[in-house]
Amino acid sequence: MNTTQPPRFSIRTFGLLLLPVILLGGVIALFLRTGGGLDLESPVPIETLTIERTILKEDLIEIRVQNTSMQEITLAQAIVNSAVWPIEVTPSATIPRLGRAVVRINYPWSYGEAYAVTLFTSNAVAFNLEIPVAFETPQPNSASFWSFALIGLYVGVIPVFLGIFWFPALRTLGRRWIVFLMAVTAGLLIFLGLDTIVEAFEQAANVPGSFQGIGIIGIGAIATFLALEAISKRQLESGGDEAAKRLSVAFRIAIGIGIHNLGEGLAIGAAYNIGEISFGTFLVIGFIIQNITEGLGIIAPVLRDRPSLRSLALMGIVGGAPAILGAWIGGFAPSPTLAVLFLAIGTGAIFQVVFEIAKLIQKDTAKESMPAIIFSGALAGMALLWVTGLLIK
Amino acid sequence: MKTNLSRRDFLKFFFFGSAATAGAVFLKQSGVQATEHGHNSVQAQATPFPMQEHGGGLVPGTVGEVDHENNGFDPTKILTDFDYGEVSTLPNGQTLREYKITVLNKDIEIVPGIIFPAWTYNGRIPGPTLRATEADRIRIHVSNGSNHPHSLHFHGFHAAEMDGVPGSGPGGAIAPGESFTYEFDAEPFGLHLYHCHVFPLARHIAKGLYGAFIVDPKQGRPPVDREMIMVMSGFDVDFDDANDFYAVNAIPFHYQNHPIQIKIGEKIRIYLVNILEFDLINSFHLHANFFHYYPTGTSLTPSEFTDTIIQGQAQRGILEFSYKHRGMFMFHAHVTEFAELGWNGMFEVTE
Repeated sequence: MNTTQPPRFSIRTFGLLLLPVILLGGVIALFLRTGGGLDLESPVPIETLTIERTILKEDLIEIRVQNTSMQEITLAQAIVNSAVWPIEVTPSATIPRLGRAVVRINYPWSYGEAYAVTLFTSNAVAFNLEIPVAFETPQPNSASFWSFALIGLYVGVIPVFLGIFWFPALRTLGRRWIVFLMAVTAGLLIFLGLDTIVEAFEQAANVPGSFQGIGIIGIGAIATFLALEAISKRQLESGGDEAAKRLSVAFRIAIGIGIHNLGEGLAIGAAYNIGEISFGTFLVIGFIIQNITEGLGIIAPVLRDRPSLRSLALMGIVGGAPAILGAWIGGFAPSPTLAVLFLAIGTGAIFQVVFEIAKLIQKDTAKESMPAIIFSGALAGMALLWVTGLLIK
Repeated sequence: MKTNLSRRDFLKFFFFGSAATAGAVFLKQSGVQATEHGHNSVQAQATPFPMQEHGGGLVPGTVGEVDHENNGFDPTKILTDFDYGEVSTLPNGQTLREYKITVLNKDIEIVPGIIFPAWTYNGRIPGPTLRATEADRIRIHVSNGSNHPHSLHFHGFHAAEMDGVPGSGPGGAIAPGESFTYEFDAEPFGLHLYHCHVFPLARHIAKGLYGAFIVDPKQGRPPVDREMIMVMSGFDVDFDDANDFYAVNAIPFHYQNHPIQIKIGEKIRIYLVNILEFDLINSFHLHANFFHYYPTGTSLTPSEFTDTIIQGQAQRGILEFSYKHRGMFMFHAHVTEFAELGWNGMFEVTE
């Protein structure tokens, strides 16, 4: 047996590769024809319908649905608050698997009241939908775009920039303080990362079964982590000075926080859409206090360097502006599947950056070990978010 | 729909905070926009609700029409369909009435598009309206063509073994493929009912096994121009022991979509039976009119002159009225929830 030379790829190898696939096809065909001896006929088809979005207009309830069952389903009737109401389904009341439809119910709903809608399929399977507070759904127009942008500005961009404004003061600090601040950043990010992944799991519950929300979290988080890791390795190999590397870490922190803020924006937009947002100015203040720490985290790695104003501004935009984008998506085209993907990417990005910061700290503490500073820093970072969280929960 | 906001929980309180001005502008504008575009863009898929033609607004109702032919019965025909049985005379001179009932599983389109796997007497809901005269001898030949044991339990006087309750003998629960003949004298006179009494009882009734049983007094009731039978019930199509739809004579909104035609001054007598399962009460309200009410029909003197009555399950009574004015008049359960879930009808009164 020749161990040094791998066998050449031949037609025969190809055939051998194909053989199990061909056999698999045969087994499936056999199973489909005979049922494999199992009686798999369900007495009632199992139907699932995902309600993607509800839009309220004057005298109209519009429900966007997706058929996430294994077979086509037909919508037959609707009941709104214990009354049968005529429905109009477009393009067709019969929805193919994974097909979408819009259900329109001409219903004289009243502002601020709650409604329960039940959609019945022709197999009398009921799907329930709650409208906790009825009000006109904002339509995409210049005014609503602007107002969602303003929300994003308040929750994302402004706090992040306020944090970055600490830069001139903090850069006068000594090495030990910089290490402390990096540990604080790591603590902050771990807290944010946990928050993001928990949010991802919560959102995954709203994802249609066939789209496997949990799977999306795994793919999104791990892929992002490994991709950023690869980018960072490549930078390391391509050389460059330490300052450039630290700037790159800062940018990646900005990206991670940015995606986290995108998730925040998605939640704002979606919450607004279902009327869960009410008044409360002091909470904006709480928000700014909490998110200001995000800006601090972004600049921590580059405190000893002289990053250009342009870089600082760009980091602020990258870290904060996605909140605006998130608010738009959440407000105008909410999709739990998309939200889970974004949150998973955010999780991967944040934990990769934590890993990166840990390496930077290691480098900084190579000559002088500072366990107490790292411990107190990381704890302070997490405690900071926990305490500011108390203000706004 | 529930959203989880975790760290973002506070957002629900905040939105308008500092963004108040923009928010207010935005609400106002989107509101205006919706009035402009929202109204014309959607064509109401109208139920043939007669009031709608006269400038009425949005009304509850179903879309389309159930397939009466496939169902095997039409509520419009059931309204005046009385089964007097096969009549003969016994050697002792007593009138004998013989009825044939088959219990069948049947898929019935309750509302357009929704098939209810019903249990039926003679393939219809309600079962045949059996009608006899006081003191007639009654024989009901029942054969069970379904795959569950069933019975007929009559309200009225009869022997214990004719009670149609499990444990009372062969008629207590007729096994699939078996037959049984219930036999008794029709008494007392009045408006009664029959239903399956096999357990679980609620399910057997809710599935559709019920019908009206009218015993006319010997001397008859004062003549009227038209008599109608109305059996009030509901349908739990998703089997959660709560009704999803309500109706008289089985098909929700049927008499709303197909108003009952009557003439001014025509004397109407309605035999009204409530067999509604799961809900405690049912009711009947007549618009723009009053009726004489004979509870259980056991007296020839009305107990009340009213426009609304309440019936618990298995309560029943006779209503007599006539209309003075032409036009469309609703009749419905004044449990308005039931009305909007199907128990609503119309009389169209013409000259």
